[in-house]
Amino acid sequence: MNKRRLLKALSYTVPIVILLIVPLYIKQPYVLHVLIMMGVNIVLASSLRFIATSGQFSLGHAGMVSIGAYTSALLVMRLGLSFWGALPLAGLAAMGIAFLAGYPFVRLKGIYFTMVTLFFTEVIKLTGEEWRGLTGGVAGIIAIPRPNAIIVPGLLNLGFTSKADFYYLALTLVVVTLVLLYAIESSRIGMTFLSIKQSEPLSESVGVNTSRFRVLAFSIGCFFAGLDGAFYSHYLSAVAPASFGFLLSIYVFIYMVVGGMQKFSGPIVGAILLTLVPELSRGAKEYEPFTFAGILLLVIFFLRGGVVSLPERLSKIIKKEVWLRLKSAG
Amino acid sequence: MLAQNLLNGLMAGWIYILVALGLTLVLSIVGIVQLAHGEIYMVGAYIVYYFCVSAGLNFFLSLLISILCVGFLGVILEKFFLRPFRDDVEGAIISTIALILILQTAIVAIAGVSYKDIPSPIQGVVKVFGAVLSWERLITILVSIVLVSALLIFITKTKIGQAMVAVSEDRVAAALQGINVNRVSSVAMFLGCALAAAAGGLTGAIFDVTPFIGGFALMKGIEVIILGGLGSIPGAIIGGLILGFIDGLVTPLLSVQLAGIIGLVVIILILLFRPQGLLGHE
Amino acid sequence: MTKNFGGLAAVTELDFNVSEGEMVGLIGPNGAGKTTVFNLITGFLRPTRGKVLFKGKDVTNRKTHFITKTGIVRTFQATTLFSDFSVLKNIIAACYLKSRVNFWEALLHTPGSHKKEETVLARAFKIMHFVGLDAFKDQSARSLPHGHRRILGIAISMAADPQLLLLDEPLSGMNAEEVDRAVALIRKVWERGTTVLLIEHNMRAAMNLCQRIIVLEMGRKIAEGTPEEVKTNKRVIQAYLGTGKHAA
Repeated sequence: MNKRRLLKALSYTVPIVILLIVPLYIKQPYVLHVLIMMGVNIVLASSLRFIATSGQFSLGHAGMVSIGAYTSALLVMRLGLSFWGALPLAGLAAMGIAFLAGYPFVRLKGIYFTMVTLFFTEVIKLTGEEWRGLTGGVAGIIAIPRPNAIIVPGLLNLGFTSKADFYYLALTLVVVTLVLLYAIESSRIGMTFLSIKQSEPLSESVGVNTSRFRVLAFSIGCFFAGLDGAFYSHYLSAVAPASFGFLLSIYVFIYMVVGGMQKFSGPIVGAILLTLVPELSRGAKEYEPFTFAGILLLVIFFLRGGVVSLPERLSKIIKKEVWLRLKSAG
Repeated sequence: MLAQNLLNGLMAGWIYILVALGLTLVLSIVGIVQLAHGEIYMVGAYIVYYFCVSAGLNFFLSLLISILCVGFLGVILEKFFLRPFRDDVEGAIISTIALILILQTAIVAIAGVSYKDIPSPIQGVVKVFGAVLSWERLITILVSIVLVSALLIFITKTKIGQAMVAVSEDRVAAALQGINVNRVSSVAMFLGCALAAAAGGLTGAIFDVTPFIGGFALMKGIEVIILGGLGSIPGAIIGGLILGFIDGLVTPLLSVQLAGIIGLVVIILILLFRPQGLLGHE
Repeated sequence: MTKNFGGLAAVTELDFNVSEGEMVGLIGPNGAGKTTVFNLITGFLRPTRGKVLFKGKDVTNRKTHFITKTGIVRTFQATTLFSDFSVLKNIIAACYLKSRVNFWEALLHTPGSHKKEETVLARAFKIMHFVGLDAFKDQSARSLPHGHRRILGIAISMAADPQLLLLDEPLSGMNAEEVDRAVALIRKVWERGTTVLLIEHNMRAAMNLCQRIIVLEMGRKIAEGTPEEVKTNKRVIQAYLGTGKHAA
């Protein structure tokens, strides 16, 4: 293994090691909760961006999270499945519905696709409120059990009675999601998504079945939203349709945009920063949306590439300044 | 009972028409899907509330003031938050989302979240076709018809109205003909927001007013224009009435959720199989 | 191979053949429906009436990517490229049909998939060299000068390995030097055995390159024949009156 590869591997493992030992030093449940929510949001924002690499803006994530949450809760509570079985099934349920809905939806382009995903979220929410027998209606489902304990004698004892255990679960979910999304994105498949985003007609004319790829991107992104939903319902132990309205879809969209859509790290940064905003504005809760709106406007008017494009922008500005100074001096 | 529901449906339909016409004006002339249109509707309701309740003015006067104020607000918003993103779908989505957040939060901060009630302009009921209809609902229908008719006259008979039609068909061609596209955009925005504000004020006299009523209005507006066909005024009228009747009939019989679901499913089907809507032409 | 074709609103009762190995020109004044013909052949539009037959198979109403797979590839009039990608990456992306890496191979980044991608890379380099864009390898497609963008468009279509290549005004917007280079390139492509159907406004180039010319006006075929025959055809000259500068 050459030096560069070694450095790269280190740059990924070191943060993970640090993240692993966090709960040993930070015990306050509140802080751990914020970190957990950051993890949840990272998964949502990154999977939304994954869909966006194929040129599609989805506002359907809230609906997908909802499907994952309810599927997992129902599988565990009604069919007696273990959480660990229900979790992947929840993801697959969301993915399956995304796949079925996807084929008709991808016939629409641009903002019309976005609108239909928004309608989809609303239909899911209304269905959740209406189908009382299955979903508990407006009140939702409560007393969702914790994930089944993982006990490896001598090594692990996760009973999920403490926030720390959920923290590890969230961390695993984040790592798995990011690794998988990155692997797909950096492959030929990811390149094909990007080609569709840049020009659908051109991609079609070089032989790409653009509909199939768009559905693929959409389904995969929604799979991770479903997983997140399952985590969510067993972490909060209660779900209701109100938690999954289109405001959630919009917030996830905002994390992605503010962080920066062009880079893989964008939504991660966006989710981390914007999860902090509600926490920091504890004092003036009603003004929290103002802060979000302000950040959004700053981004669209001044920093379209999002926060992660800031270093690049600054270095361009600095280089320009230096060049101008040199020119006037020389 | 049926007559009652039909009349309620008719009223709902006309409100949806007002919202949808406003939305379609902005969409086809300014060129943006104005996601904050629902919030404009909501602000319109609040302005009527304040002039009616705090200033004690007559309902119709308050409605007029609201229409004018919101219209001018819209013109300012269009210049700074919409026009820069005319051909920028991503930017338009983000900007209008920011507007939703700003408008909603501003109203929450000023007025709080509790339910407000705009007093009825005329108390009492009227007997129509064997059903009992409150004056407020009848007035809503009548005022809506008047406003829509006024809009249609404006579009067909005035120079600016014709300019608006030209811009909605082909902006570049219109500019080449010497039309001041920016000014036409402002007028369209004024009218669009005015209609939304009127809808908000009229609805506010019947239902509760909260800072969160905008979302529902926006959804209905988008549903109507998709059903009726983008850029089609008769389409918006027919689409609004259809959706109004669905809501009016299904809600009391089944549930408000099912009415919503049916409406949305209809729209999704239209998008998939007849994307130009009932009367659209693309 | 033959292609039969007939009937549509913007294009009326159009019926023509292209035989294997030919270079056929499709000319006509603006609005004659030439690009519409390409759209119809490649599945971007459906004919109201009529069929498109390719190598004996009916490809009417099929999706564009399927038509590409059977061997018909087009370029676009407006310069449609993968703007954010570099020149090389544009061609690599266009080699989609040749990459044949399946989902799991790609996900796991297996050595097999790497091997396949290396083959694709080599092919992309070859194509880039063939069209003469090596110098711009890492430049973003967006920043290319206009003439080179059209060449990249041709390179992209070559990456899809066409048997029948539909070129939509490849020379538009080029200066004299660029035209000469592009004409040489098109001739090279044709000499390799690719059948070419060429839409062009540049009469001299079209007459020089093509053995046969089809002339459209208002969606109808008004003449067909060798460049000489078409040049002197009264009907054709009449059609072009008013855009006199393009007459041969």
